[in-house]
Amino acid sequence: MSAAEWIRLIIGCLFILIGMVIFFTELFGVFHFKYVLNRMHAAAMGDTLGISACLIGLMIFSGLNFTTMKMFLIIVFLWFASPVSSHVLSRLEAATNDNLSAHCEIYEDVEILERELAASVENNNAEEKEAPVS
Amino acid sequence: MNKELIYHPLFIFLLIVLSFMLLVCLIRAVKGPRVADRLMAVNMMGTMVMVMISVLALLLQEGYLVDICLIYAMISFLSVVVISKVYIGIYEEQHHSQETAEGGNTDERS
Repeated sequence: MSAAEWIRLIIGCLFILIGMVIFFTELFGVFHFKYVLNRMHAAAMGDTLGISACLIGLMIFSGLNFTTMKMFLIIVFLWFASPVSSHVLSRLEAATNDNLSAHCEIYEDVEILERELAASVENNNAEEKEAPVS
Repeated sequence: MNKELIYHPLFIFLLIVLSFMLLVCLIRAVKGPRVADRLMAVNMMGTMVMVMISVLALLLQEGYLVDICLIYAMISFLSVVVISKVYIGIYEEQHHSQETAEGGNTDERS
């Protein structure tokens, strides 16, 4: 094997290692969190970033041919599909859970949340302004 | 040094690690207390199987396996969306039938 092929092997292995670490993090998060909507946050990471890193590593192994293009197509498809399936799953959870408010805060109207966020930002700004004076 | 001698054990090792991760995902799917948990675990398993099929395509030097992987991605996405929609529909139907039954009872009482 020439030097270029060794470099290709090492870079590909690096990408696949990143992908495996992300998959492992995903599994750890799925068992660590206590509620579905929290677990979904960890699970959506592997769908896009984990499989992207793994397939980029395999694309480097494969070289420039049709297989590489198909793998790229898979990555692009999952970029679009993963957020949609996460959204649908969270809608399923929100629609079928009767005591959702036991797990998370529910805002009936978006304006209430916006008002609270604006108030907290103003409070933070006021504290930052007061801090250097005192 | 021969190229096959490096890539072949690497791919086999990758497949073994991925299959263990798949088993852990299956535990989550069996354990998951809610339906959304199970569907999420199935989605994760689909992602890992996609990586496994791609590794297998390079291991066997067969390019068409990546086509199967693409179709697998589409079907797994479709299954998650369709099952969620169907489950929401069934749940709301049961809920409405219960509500109407309760409403009928209260009417009778009043």
